[in-house]
Amino acid sequence: MATDQRTGDWYGTDEAVSRLRGQAFKSLCLGATLLALVSVFVLLLYVANDAFRPLSADIGWLLTFAASLLLPTLGATGYYYTRDARAGETAAIALGLPVVSLLLTGGVFITLEHIVTVYQWASIVVALAIAAAVVFAHGRVRTSADLERFIVLVAVPIAALVLIPDLILSLPMLPTEALALLGSVVVPVAVVVGWFVRRQRENDRDGAIAAGLTLVVAAAGLGLAPVVGLSPFVWMLLVVVTAVPVGLYVESVVRRGAGTAGLAFPVLVAGGVIVGVVVTEALGFAGPNSWLDWGFLTDPPSRTPEDAGFYPPLVGSVMMLLVIVVSAFPVGVGAAVYLEEYAPDRGWWGRLVDLIEVNIGNLAGVPSVVYGVLGLALFIRQGGLGSGTALVGGFTVSLLILPIVIISSQEAISAVPDSMREASYGMGATRWQTVRNVVLPEALPGIMTGNILAMGRAIGETAPLLIIGAPAVVRIAPDSFTSKFSAMPRQIYTWSSEIDAAFQHGVLAAGVMTLLVVLLLMNGAAIIIRNKYQRRD
Amino acid sequence: MTRDQMTDPDSRTDNQATDGGRESLANNDLEGSDPTTDPLVDSSIDVDKSAAPSGSESRTVIESRDLDVFYDDVQALQSVDIDIPAEQVTAIIGPSGCGKSTFLRCINRMNDLVDAARVDGELLFEGKNVYDDDVDPVVLRRKIGMVFQAPNPFPKSIYDNVTYGLDVQGVDGDYDEIVEDALRRAALWDEVKDQLDSSGLDLSGGQQQRLCIARAIAPDPDVILMDEPASALDPVATSKIEDLIEDLAEEYTVVIVTHNMQQAARISDKTAVFLTGGELVEFDDTDKIFENPEHDRVEDYITGKFG
Repeated sequence: MATDQRTGDWYGTDEAVSRLRGQAFKSLCLGATLLALVSVFVLLLYVANDAFRPLSADIGWLLTFAASLLLPTLGATGYYYTRDARAGETAAIALGLPVVSLLLTGGVFITLEHIVTVYQWASIVVALAIAAAVVFAHGRVRTSADLERFIVLVAVPIAALVLIPDLILSLPMLPTEALALLGSVVVPVAVVVGWFVRRQRENDRDGAIAAGLTLVVAAAGLGLAPVVGLSPFVWMLLVVVTAVPVGLYVESVVRRGAGTAGLAFPVLVAGGVIVGVVVTEALGFAGPNSWLDWGFLTDPPSRTPEDAGFYPPLVGSVMMLLVIVVSAFPVGVGAAVYLEEYAPDRGWWGRLVDLIEVNIGNLAGVPSVVYGVLGLALFIRQGGLGSGTALVGGFTVSLLILPIVIISSQEAISAVPDSMREASYGMGATRWQTVRNVVLPEALPGIMTGNILAMGRAIGETAPLLIIGAPAVVRIAPDSFTSKFSAMPRQIYTWSSEIDAAFQHGVLAAGVMTLLVVLLLMNGAAIIIRNKYQRRD
Repeated sequence: MTRDQMTDPDSRTDNQATDGGRESLANNDLEGSDPTTDPLVDSSIDVDKSAAPSGSESRTVIESRDLDVFYDDVQALQSVDIDIPAEQVTAIIGPSGCGKSTFLRCINRMNDLVDAARVDGELLFEGKNVYDDDVDPVVLRRKIGMVFQAPNPFPKSIYDNVTYGLDVQGVDGDYDEIVEDALRRAALWDEVKDQLDSSGLDLSGGQQQRLCIARAIAPDPDVILMDEPASALDPVATSKIEDLIEDLAEEYTVVIVTHNMQQAARISDKTAVFLTGGELVEFDDTDKIFENPEHDRVEDYITGKFG
């Protein structure tokens, strides 16, 4: 058709369509992106510089570490990036997993040290095991009595938790702390590891080996730990919380045989650190006079900046998070399940539900200081709980993140395809069976991602803690949920108003860095969970 | 619960308008375009009479009497009367939006999940109106299995997919045996017997649909409803599913909705033709429908003049 004899050039060579406005728009968007990133990044660098003070080190120290750690790391990163992307992925996880699991070990240690004693924990485990056995036996004997079964399922665990722990704790003879830990933490973890490996490998023997290995290595701590200068208690925690996940990961990478080169990366980093330390010690180079060091993490706050530490607020934040996990998540996820799966969506009730959903969205935007006032009025004035305790702090921040938990869980649940619900109903499943067997398992990764992000929000909240009367300084880590506590952001706020400039610049920066690292790790975990489950489709 | 496209009132109304217009041209019958006072509703009773002799060879499992379905104010089915015989394949054909999926979903009350849907009239399963107050739809669905248009296995292992119905229905028995039997009958066993623990989503589309069929037959229902089970599949997978459906009809009553008239002709014993407006125009032996239909509109549809 279009074979008109054109005497000139081919179409479009003489006059191209203008892209000027499009280019300008693109540049503006790029500028906005860069501005946002750069301003945050500069702030982070500034704070990191204040916290670590790398320039206070000898030049020799810096050069040594640049040679032993920085250059090999950069070289390896370049190699992974250009040659072996699969190994790069392995390298990132292989370096990150030990760090994360070590931090988690610290969290478990703090929990068992300050919040639940090992004996309490062991007695709870025993109580739950007994309750599970009773429920299971009842199910075997009475197979059909549905209501009775339900009552047993609810009542027996509660009765067991109320009665058995006290009974056990009142025994005249208790095993040593290490033995109690072995029974109540190591054995359950070994069972889970065995089950996990058995399922992955479809091989009973491998599962038994993995479980046995976990048990033996942990139990070896009873004899070996003092030799390397650790308590058996810490040894077991390290084995269970750090060594087990790392070992499972390394094993899975080796078995898959893809990206094994990435496993060298953490060895490279650790080796670089060790070589750097040895060389600088030998040559007498002084390291940086960093504010954020081991002492900062393990010492209580102090009047002198050099001695100031962060330990009690760290413990306080962990306790607050525990309260939040126990209070906000069940309520939030429950509300989300109701709104998505059960609530009427037509008629007058449907409109009421719409109104409620809109207002949950509004509540997510209410300033945190308002929630602080709500917590003060509700829990302290009305509820009669003591001001400034971890319990009240946790409850108040729970209220604050509840809308976020509900909304993100709702999104995860509504992302479950309807075809799956239909398949389930079509098989003759009840609504409850469909929710339990299909909707919740499918939505769980999304729910967990949202909840972890909400936890990240919760751990950084300051204003509600100020209002509910969290003390400015807590010198002894709280030992119960009803004692006065301080959280990381509350302590940072205190330091920001100290007169001594060393507090305002150094100690505060170290606190901020600690908080940010915890936040980054939590967000990283959320991203990993999301990616892991998204890839499956 | 989102409605699928077949039962979407909007798309239905569009089809109704255009097809109704075309149909009145074809039949030169002005009343034919009015869905509420359609004279062809009466003639569907004639179809029932003519179908009765052949239906009497085999017991009637599902019968509907004057069945109307509405989505809000839009009528999706108009006084449908049908007798579906046991242990045969009954195909339901018709143009898009004619209500054939809606009818299928009425049988096991899947339309209960659509808030806008309202059902009038009677639909009897084994002589009992399933819309009676004392009928539990969950119990009903345990007797009537369903296979959907797009393969929808659960993100669980192949084994767990097949045992899902057994689990939720509390069936006792040797699950390994039931799984093998169901997968064999679904012609899938030889392909998956070594990977029962891998995810059902790892299978190809045709295999997934056969897995869904295995899942539907594992709890041994009386009736299997299929909503265009092969429409998302390639020709090879489709022919496998078709062979399978013919085998299934030896033990089960199969009701299959399909877009594909050749498919209906190949596999079904009885065929019901729904036309625009949600009316059942003709229901008879498949041979009769495809060779010598009683209604001109059915002939027009089958020969491709419209629809």
